[in-house]
Amino acid sequence: MKDISLVRILPQEPRVPFINLRMIAAAFSVLAIIASIFLFTTKGLNYGIDFTGGTVIEINTNEDPDDEAIRNALIDMGFNGATVQGIQPPVGALDQEGNPITHRLMRIGLQLADETGEEGQGAQQAALKRATDGLEERIGEFYIRNTEVVGSQVSGELRRKGIMSVALALLMVLGYIWFRFEWQFGLGAVFALAHDVILTIGVFSLTQIEFNLTIIAAILTIVGYSLNDTVIVYDRIRENLRKFKKKPLPEVLNIAINDTLSRTILTSLTTLLALVALYVLGGSALKGFSFAMIWGVFVGTYSSIFVASPLLLALKLKRGANTGGERAEV
Amino acid sequence: MLFFSRSKILMILGAVFIGLLLAIPNALPEKAREAMPGPFQRTINLGLDLQGGAHMLLEVDLSSILDQALINERTAINDAFRRAEDRPRTEFVRADNGSILARMRTKEDADKAMPLLENLSQPVDPTQLNSPKTTRVTRESDKNIRVTITDQNIEFIRKQTIEKSIGVLGRRIDPNGNLELILAPEGDKRILLQVPGAQNIDEIKARINKSANLSFHLVNEKDSGNLEVMRLVIPPPHRGVAPGDKYFPFAESNGRDGGLIVVERTRITGDCLKDSSGGPHPTGPGAVVNFSFNVGCATEFGRMTARNINKRFAVILDGEIITAPNIRSAITGGSGYIEGGFTLESARDLSLLLNAGALPAKLTIVEERTVDPSLGADSIRAGKVASGIGLLGVAIFMWLSYGLRFGTIANLALSTNIILIAAALSLFGSTLTLPGIAGIILTIGMAVDANVLIFERIREETYNGKTPINAIETGYKRSMAPILDANITTLIAAITLYFVGSGPVRGFAVTLAIGIVMSVFTAVIFARLLTATWLRGKRPKTLPI
Repeated sequence: MKDISLVRILPQEPRVPFINLRMIAAAFSVLAIIASIFLFTTKGLNYGIDFTGGTVIEINTNEDPDDEAIRNALIDMGFNGATVQGIQPPVGALDQEGNPITHRLMRIGLQLADETGEEGQGAQQAALKRATDGLEERIGEFYIRNTEVVGSQVSGELRRKGIMSVALALLMVLGYIWFRFEWQFGLGAVFALAHDVILTIGVFSLTQIEFNLTIIAAILTIVGYSLNDTVIVYDRIRENLRKFKKKPLPEVLNIAINDTLSRTILTSLTTLLALVALYVLGGSALKGFSFAMIWGVFVGTYSSIFVASPLLLALKLKRGANTGGERAEV
Repeated sequence: MLFFSRSKILMILGAVFIGLLLAIPNALPEKAREAMPGPFQRTINLGLDLQGGAHMLLEVDLSSILDQALINERTAINDAFRRAEDRPRTEFVRADNGSILARMRTKEDADKAMPLLENLSQPVDPTQLNSPKTTRVTRESDKNIRVTITDQNIEFIRKQTIEKSIGVLGRRIDPNGNLELILAPEGDKRILLQVPGAQNIDEIKARINKSANLSFHLVNEKDSGNLEVMRLVIPPPHRGVAPGDKYFPFAESNGRDGGLIVVERTRITGDCLKDSSGGPHPTGPGAVVNFSFNVGCATEFGRMTARNINKRFAVILDGEIITAPNIRSAITGGSGYIEGGFTLESARDLSLLLNAGALPAKLTIVEERTVDPSLGADSIRAGKVASGIGLLGVAIFMWLSYGLRFGTIANLALSTNIILIAAALSLFGSTLTLPGIAGIILTIGMAVDANVLIFERIREETYNGKTPINAIETGYKRSMAPILDANITTLIAAITLYFVGSGPVRGFAVTLAIGIVMSVFTAVIFARLLTATWLRGKRPKTLPI
């Protein structure tokens, strides 16, 4: 059988000196983290209504909608903070009667200034009705495809839950890796994950892409993905520590990263393939999610090579019982 | 690693075969599905964001219920004092800081009051032995007695309120029981309502927003007719009504401004209704709501009307007077009709609400996500296209990377993985949401990871000079630990997501978790079986990898 393997173009035993690049990588990572935190504190995130509370409707007008007319109509009705945004329908979208949608859809966001307390919660529903009735009067008939109303109390809870879920996931992962490896590995992995999460938040702050519940799901998946990568490299490090007992630690780490390099690249590529398909074809609802994941694949791959492994050096990994100290494998 | 006993082979192939059978119904038209045996009729349960429908979170106003409980307790205390043979004298009995404070005239009065108050404390749930009491009575000083509603009682009231609200909502929104509603308590004070495929959201919201508290009150004609009094009373907060009376405004549908002062106490409430229905007005235009009372209330209503001929009684719905007719003669049959400017439709709506019963507390919609079925269908279509392209891309990529032989093995494992995910989703009846579709597409990309890991290892071992069988053996053996570690950690993230996340995010967590488990099975066990079978048949000298 003829060998047509693509990746054999990569050398079988690559010896890229990743570990020697660790200072450059560290400088880069620290700068990126500082930039992310800076962006987060100054520019903030473009929170969706899941976290701020508010109302979003997606409507289908009879022809391509006139953004300005809708905006003016909303201001006319007294909805001052309203956002109006035209969106491309997903591939092959059909309307309520089964005809293809050829024009843009409209997403309208209403933010009610005063909606704390019980009255405010009901007021949101009242405002929604006022807005749709008023719009119908001013711009003609339209069809509502999607309505989302999130009260301020609920959004506060969702925010708390979101932060908690990311923190909890990190903690449990730390526990598992600690149990399976040495503590340095657990700490290294969690630092690398925190690095990924911070950089993802930074990118969302930079691009101002809407940050909502599905993005939290994406971040947790990034955590899972990046961890996957990190664990594979760590496992190889552990194995090589047993194999090359005499070699200095930096070299052992480097061999492990290189050993797993082709796998890292291949898996990243297949995952990216699937995600790009989702990004291009998934419609507006999944754009943010797939964007976060695509970013996560890059940052997760980077962090397992340049953050998680060098951190073992910084954390002064010793060759203990679990890392080839006692029993050796041939 | 490469030896499989016959029973093991049967088990693996059996699992894949059953998975295939479970997944197939999803691809069949409904007719063909019905011909399949029971467990194989199940299909993937689509979430509301994919099939269209309304998801709402309703918050129950519990504070008003607790306030009402305090007011009832105070009334009960006053009644108990009044009815006692040796009446204890009070300075006041009032609600004070979430409990009732009774100050008695003297220490002796307080001594007399204590047993009376303790008698009022009943078991919370009379059907249970050793049930905790409804109230706790404490003597704060010589003259002060405090009656507190116990936490257990508050909890009991809370549960009952939620339970009753759910019952009423079900009867209101789905009187015929054909909508497949989901109504469930969520947290302490919320109710989750899901209506699949709902088209008439505004109607549903209207039914949630009405409490449908109905009561019949005698009108205080003297005060209501007195312009001086009314001028004082009408502007909110309606001060200046005599004790025991209350002011209510006319409903909009009544077509009149202002309102009436009525006697607050009444025994004729919505609970009296045996049945009601909307129908045309028997004499004039418009429509009426016909009603009939149960026996006890019919007697009471007869007595009330007999004593008050030529006075008015007000029919009050949710704090508004819908009609206030003159009593011409005693109404003894226990049935009648309410007119109040209804149309046939609004009369039917009201009778539906009345038959379903009143909501014990006000409900507010604190979260709503409504998706039109057309949008859901778009999402499914886009998801299918994206997963198809993703699958094709990954498959081609695997062939390019590992050649025909191992590429095919990886791709067989990948397609088995997708089939098993579909089978598991159908079997467990878990819900597939839009993020869930994203989870599957992501799994497609990540599922080959385990195979990549194994194949890379085999390549490496071959490069190090091992024979094919040896290389494959070692490749699988050495890859086990990293594959398990990597997937368990991802599984941990997915499980966390499930328990902390809500709604659609949960759907994502479920598909991700199922995908992880299935990908380990297909890559580590199923693909290994394929490799071993191929090895045994061919016994190759070199590996085409």
